[in-house]
Amino acid sequence: MSNILTIIFRLTLSCLIAGTVMGTTFVFTNKAKKANEHAREEKVVYSLLGYSAENPIPESMGLYEVFRYVITDAGQSSIGYLVPAGAGDHSEGFTFVRIDLEGKYMDSNPVTISHEKVREQKDRDVAIAAAIGGGKDIRFADHTIIVTDSGSRLAYLLSGKFPGFKTSIHIMMALDPTYSVLGLEIMEHEEDPGLGAEIEQDYFKNQFKHKPFETIKSIEVAKAPLPPEYFDAMEGKVDEEAAIEVMKQYRDQDIYALTGATISSAAVSNGVRSMTKKFAYRLDILDRVIKEQQLQVPF
Amino acid sequence: MANEYSSFQLLANGILKENPIFKLALSMCPAVGISTTVSNGVMLGIAVLFVQVFSSVTISALKNFIHPRIRIPTYTLTIATWVTVIDLSLAAFFPGAYAKMGIFVKIIVAFAIITMRLEMFACKEDVSDSFWDGLGMGLGFMVGMVVIGFVRELLGSGAVFGYDVLGFKPLLFFILPSAGFFVVGLMMAFFNWIEAVYAARKREVKQ
Repeated sequence: MSNILTIIFRLTLSCLIAGTVMGTTFVFTNKAKKANEHAREEKVVYSLLGYSAENPIPESMGLYEVFRYVITDAGQSSIGYLVPAGAGDHSEGFTFVRIDLEGKYMDSNPVTISHEKVREQKDRDVAIAAAIGGGKDIRFADHTIIVTDSGSRLAYLLSGKFPGFKTSIHIMMALDPTYSVLGLEIMEHEEDPGLGAEIEQDYFKNQFKHKPFETIKSIEVAKAPLPPEYFDAMEGKVDEEAAIEVMKQYRDQDIYALTGATISSAAVSNGVRSMTKKFAYRLDILDRVIKEQQLQVPF
Repeated sequence: MANEYSSFQLLANGILKENPIFKLALSMCPAVGISTTVSNGVMLGIAVLFVQVFSSVTISALKNFIHPRIRIPTYTLTIATWVTVIDLSLAAFFPGAYAKMGIFVKIIVAFAIITMRLEMFACKEDVSDSFWDGLGMGLGFMVGMVVIGFVRELLGSGAVFGYDVLGFKPLLFFILPSAGFFVVGLMMAFFNWIEAVYAARKREVKQ
């Protein structure tokens, strides 16, 4: 009996100590970890737009984040968009626009939240719930960044995930205003090294670059060997002008699947296809609603 | 505890005489699954080295407190704690390395070699011996992973450390998990052969 008690006591104590050690580490490292993730995301955003630390984004450009929510109110689903309000000087807060599933405008409410806090999902959820009234189930779906240059739209940055071979693949991609792909970056994946993990190589992800919306809408993977000159162009082994010339030839082709990783290749091309198609559909509705209701937005 | 071995002997023991992969044949899952490139081997090796050393020292320091009936859960708890601490610290302070190592660090909790070393060595010996033993085992694991990774990367993707050296891919088969068993098997045979030759020569000298 006393044995049991000693065991229980010691095991509990060990667990408590272990928990304390882990908790303390978490508290000390969490902030730095979040900052790293944010820095990485920002870097990817800039590189997709063709900017870097040496070549910073010009002053005239604006990046506006749009958060999409799914709202369930007494069994009725609707879509909500949290968009920045006003002329774009980041001073007038946000507007939460609700649209029903048929694409009809429902209502819009001002949301008071600062531009720093809006990135934190918890703070954002609370602010939205306060703006639209309680009793509704709000669920964050995804977020998009709309890039403008002196008032006209330059690009859209989409982040999203879809199932890969084993777990989800998180990607970020840039589209131009006609929904052609500007670039693609694999943020997170757990595909097999040497096989599916090759999706993060330039020679795979650059195949999507500059593909027009019409091609993306019906893109598939082709099980054919990748032509060597196309490989060199995407890997940056030839000079830039020649690379653009070569890539133009393959612009309307399907994606060449990776050797031994057809499932991963198909997962990425299906994911890109569905993300682009859905985004184009949703943005058209949002744009129409904003125009009809004459909402003040900076993009 | 009487100090039967010098720290150097303990270190060498882990790398050669009781190499975790080639001699003890422990932790074969990661050895086969992850060692597709040299850099993967180095990354996982470093991560295992840290966890092994920290866990060995912790268990050795607390050996009188741990009830013998619950030693295995306590080992698992210790390993999990250190893995979590290392995982969080890497993510926060070395984001570049973490981007490559992240998935490896998390699976170390399940490594047989670490639990086995705690059970066989750390719970009986004193702290400094456990430290050297942990270091030796960690380095031995790293050496094993790097050697397997080298063979597989060279034959599978024609590269070393990600740099293309052959210019072609001799056998894609070596990238696949099953090929890991072949490489490990051949390496084991090679290590045993060396030991046999060495032992035979030693006998000859004696006679």
